[in-house]
Amino acid sequence: MYYPASQHVRSEYDQPLLWSVLLLLAFGLIMVYSASIASASASRMTGFNESYFLLRQCAFLAAGLIAGAVAFQIPLRGWQQLSPWLFLAGIVLLALVLIPGVGREVNGSQRWLSLGVANLQPSEFMKLIVVMYAADYTVRKAALMDNFTKGFMPMFLVMLLIGGLLLREPDFGAFAVIISIAMGILFLGGLNWRLFAGLIVLLIIGFLLLIWTSPYRMQRIIGFMDPWADPYGKGYQLSHALIAFGRGEWLGVGLGGSVEKLLYLPEAHTDFLLAVIAEELGFAGVAVVILGFAWILVRAFLIGRAAEKQERHFSALVAQGVGIWLAVQAIINIGVNMGLLPTKGLTLPLLSFGGSGIVANCVALAVLLRVDYENRQLLKGYAV
Amino acid sequence: MSLASTALRVRLPLWRAWLVVALLLLWFVALLLRSLYLQVMNTDFLVQKGDARYSRVIEISAHRGMITDRQGEPLAISTPVEAVWASPQDIELSADKKQRLAKLLDLSKAEIDKRLADTSKEFSYLKRGVPPEQAVKVMELGIPGVFLQRGYRRYYPAGDVTAHILGFTGIDDNGQEGIELTYQKWLAGQVGSRRVIKDRPGHIIEDVESVKTPQEGRNLALSIDRKIQYLAFRELKAAVDENKAKAGAIVVLDAKTGEILALANLPSYNPNNRVKLNRNSTRNRSITDIFEPGSTMKPVAIAAALETGKYTPESRVETSPGYFSIGPATVHDAHPQGLLTLSQVIQKSSNVGAAKIALTLEPEYLWSVFNHMGFGQLPQSGFPGEATGKVRPYKTWRPIEQATMSYGHGISVSLLQLARAYTVFASDGELKPLSMLKLDEMPAGERVFSPRTAQEVRAMLELVVQPGGTAPKARITGYRAAGKTGTAHKQDGNGYAADRYVSSFVGFAPASDPRLIVAVMIDEPSNGQYYGGTVAAPVFRNVMGGALRMLSVPLDAPTTNTLLPDDAPEIKEMV
Repeated sequence: MYYPASQHVRSEYDQPLLWSVLLLLAFGLIMVYSASIASASASRMTGFNESYFLLRQCAFLAAGLIAGAVAFQIPLRGWQQLSPWLFLAGIVLLALVLIPGVGREVNGSQRWLSLGVANLQPSEFMKLIVVMYAADYTVRKAALMDNFTKGFMPMFLVMLLIGGLLLREPDFGAFAVIISIAMGILFLGGLNWRLFAGLIVLLIIGFLLLIWTSPYRMQRIIGFMDPWADPYGKGYQLSHALIAFGRGEWLGVGLGGSVEKLLYLPEAHTDFLLAVIAEELGFAGVAVVILGFAWILVRAFLIGRAAEKQERHFSALVAQGVGIWLAVQAIINIGVNMGLLPTKGLTLPLLSFGGSGIVANCVALAVLLRVDYENRQLLKGYAV
Repeated sequence: MSLASTALRVRLPLWRAWLVVALLLLWFVALLLRSLYLQVMNTDFLVQKGDARYSRVIEISAHRGMITDRQGEPLAISTPVEAVWASPQDIELSADKKQRLAKLLDLSKAEIDKRLADTSKEFSYLKRGVPPEQAVKVMELGIPGVFLQRGYRRYYPAGDVTAHILGFTGIDDNGQEGIELTYQKWLAGQVGSRRVIKDRPGHIIEDVESVKTPQEGRNLALSIDRKIQYLAFRELKAAVDENKAKAGAIVVLDAKTGEILALANLPSYNPNNRVKLNRNSTRNRSITDIFEPGSTMKPVAIAAALETGKYTPESRVETSPGYFSIGPATVHDAHPQGLLTLSQVIQKSSNVGAAKIALTLEPEYLWSVFNHMGFGQLPQSGFPGEATGKVRPYKTWRPIEQATMSYGHGISVSLLQLARAYTVFASDGELKPLSMLKLDEMPAGERVFSPRTAQEVRAMLELVVQPGGTAPKARITGYRAAGKTGTAHKQDGNGYAADRYVSSFVGFAPASDPRLIVAVMIDEPSNGQYYGGTVAAPVFRNVMGGALRMLSVPLDAPTTNTLLPDDAPEIKEMV
C-alpha cells in the first residue's frame, strides 16, 4: 500500500474523533456549570453551593475517562465473548432497579441503584450492552436473517423483556434508544427487509397503543404539540425551552447570560442543556453540537466499513451500533428541546449532567476507538 | 466460535449502512433547520413570550418632599429604610447566626422562629423599617434566604412639638393629617417605573430601561419658626402641667403678614411612634375645636362702638351697681366699678359696661363686624378640618344675646380665629389672611376699622397689662405689651358648668409697632387658679418675650418696665 510522505508517522488511532469527543465533553462541562449555577445556589438539596453540579460532573468525567482508557485495552474479541454475560448482568440490574427498597425513585421514575457515593443508572449501560449483544447476535445468526422464527423471534422476545423492564421504571427514552439500536443493527446485519417493514409497522402500532393507554405519556404528547395552549401547565417546560432558543438568535446572549436557567427552565443542566446552549451561544452553539454528533456518526460508520472490509463483522456492527446509539439519542434530545418530539427524559450524550450517562458514553467511544485502532493494526499487518 | 467460521455466512450490505447514515443525517439537517427557524425567523415571537414571563415593570417610589420651617430647618424628612424579609422555604439558619440576627433586629429568637414557622411560604417579613446601616450588617451575616426591600419612612425630628402642624403619613406614604394631608400632591411627587428582568424567585437581574422617571416630591417651606415653636410648646406644656389642665393650645402669628409662626396643642403625640394614637391627642385643638372665648371678645365690641363715631375712649358708661337686668336675665361684674370710661371697661373687663355699649349698636352692624373679623368664617389657614365657629344670624338675636356676645358668650370661635382677629388691632385696622407657608411678600389685608379706631383699642389693650388691669402678669421686660384676658365657664349641655373654665389670653407686642400676636388657651385648669390673667397671661409673657428676643425686635420700653409694683389689687374679671 502507498502512503503519502506526510502520513509517514500516521497515528495509531483516530485523533480527530478523539479530539472531537474530548471537546464535546469539555464543552458540556462548561455548559453544565453555566446552566446549573442558579439552580444549585438556590436549592437546599445542593446546600446552596453553586459549584455542586460542576464538581460532580468533573468527577463523572474523570471516572468516564478512566473507564474509557480501561475499555480501550480490551480487544473486540474479548467484548464479543463478554457480551452474553454483560447482557445477563444488565437484565439483572434492570430488574433490581424495580425492586422496592433497592431502586431509587426520583420524580416518579425508578431508574437508579444507590452505590453510596453515586447512583447507578443501569439503562445507560444497557444501551452499550445491547449494541454488543445485538452485534454478537447478528453475527451468530447471520445465516438465519431471512428466517422469521429462528432469525428474528429470539431477538424480539429478548427485546420484549428489556422493553418491559424499561417501561416499568418508566424510562421511555431509554426504551426508544435501545429499540432503535437493536433494530438498526439487525437491519445493518441483513435482516430480511420484509420482516423489517412488518416490524416497523408493529412498532408503530405498539407505540401508539402505549401513548393512548398511559395518561402520563398522553400529557407529554399534548404539551409537545402546542406548548402555547397551556404555557404555564403542560407546555411550561417546552415553552421555556423554545423561548431560550428564540432569545439566542445567531450568536446567543453570551456565556453565562441565560435568563431561562434562572429557575424558569426545569432540568436546564440535564435534559434541557441544549436550550441553555441555544440561549447563551445562539444558533452557532447549537450548530456546533449538531455537527459534532453528525461527525461522530459518520466516523462510526466509516470505522465500521473499514472493519467490514477486514471481515470483522462484530467490530463493524459494534462501531455502527455506537454511532446509531449516540446519533439517535442526540436527535431525540435535540428534537425534544426544539419541540419536534415529545418530552422524554433523555439526556444529551457527552454533554448533559449525569454520571452513568457520561461513563457509558466514554466506554462506548473507547470501544469505537478500539475498533479503529484494531483496523489500523491489522492494516499494518499486526495481530490484535 | 471462531471469527473465520462465521465470516463465511455474514453479509452486511453496503446500501443498508448508507441508508441508515443518510436517514440519521437527514434528521440532523432537519434539526439544524428547526434551530434556524426558532433562532432566526421566529425569534421576535419567542422573545416577546419570554418578556411576558420575566420582564416586569416595577415601581420606583418617589422621595417625598421635605417639610422645613421658615429658615429651612427640616421638620419632616423621608429617610430610606429597609424591610428585612426571608423566604421560610429556603432560609438556612444556624443557632449562632440566629442569635446574631435576633440581636441585630432586636427580636427574640422565638419571634424569629414564629415568622419562619410556615416553611411552605416564600415570603415573610422579619422586620420592617430597619435603618440602612443596620440592614447592611444583617446582610453581612450572609444568611441564605434573607433579603432586603427598600422603602421610605417619614421622620419628624421635632416629634410631638410639631405633631399637630405636620400631621403624618400612612403606611403607603400618603398624608393622613395636617400639612402632610393638605399638601399631599405637592409633597408626594410621582412614582416612576422601570422595566427589569426578574429571575423566577423574583430578584431583579437586569435593568432594561426606564419607562417613566420618578418625579421627586417637592420641598415645602412652612411659615413656622422652629425655635419659636419649641418655645411655645415648652411654655404651654409647663402651664398645662402646672395648672393640671385638661388641654391647652397656643398660636403665634406674625402680626404684619398673618404667617403662623408657631402652633401647638396639648395633649400631643409622637408622630414617629404612633402605636398608641387616640383622637384626643391627634386633634389640632387650636383649629378644629371651638370654645366660648369670654372677655377676649370685648375689644371687638368696643372697637365696633368706637368705629360708629358715637363713642371715644373717654366716653363714660355707668356700671353700678355691678349688674343689670335684661328681661329675666342678669349681667354681672365681679366687683361694682361705678362710672367707667370705655378704656376702663377693657382694662377692668367689665361685662356690664361692654353689654350696655353693645346694646346701643345695631344688631346687623355688630354681626357684620364679627363677620369681617373672621368669626363664623373659615380661617383658610391651609389646615384640614378647620372650624368655622358659631355666630348666629343677627335676625334671631334677642337683646340678652346681643349683650352677652359683647363679652364672648353665646358665640363660639377657634383659637386660630381669635388670634387672627387681633391682627386688626395689631395692624391699623386690617384683617390679615393667615398663611401656613412662608410668604415672600406682604399679603393684602382687608380693612375692618379705621386706623384711628385700631390705635385707640391698642392703647386700651396696653392698659390691661398694667397694674390695675386684669393681666399685669403679661408684662414683658423691655417691650410694651398689649392684650386681653378671657375666663369663661365651659358650656355643659344647655347651661354653664360652675367649676369648669377656659382661661385665655390674646395679645401682641411691641405695642408701638406690633410684630407678633400670641393667643393662649388653657382648658379646664384645675389647680386652684383659673383666671386668664393668672393662668394664660404668664404663657403669653414667656413666649412673646422669648420670641421677640429671638427675632431681635428692638425694645420699645425701658427694661425696668416690669419692676413697677405688682402688688396693686388684682382686678378680677367677671366670668
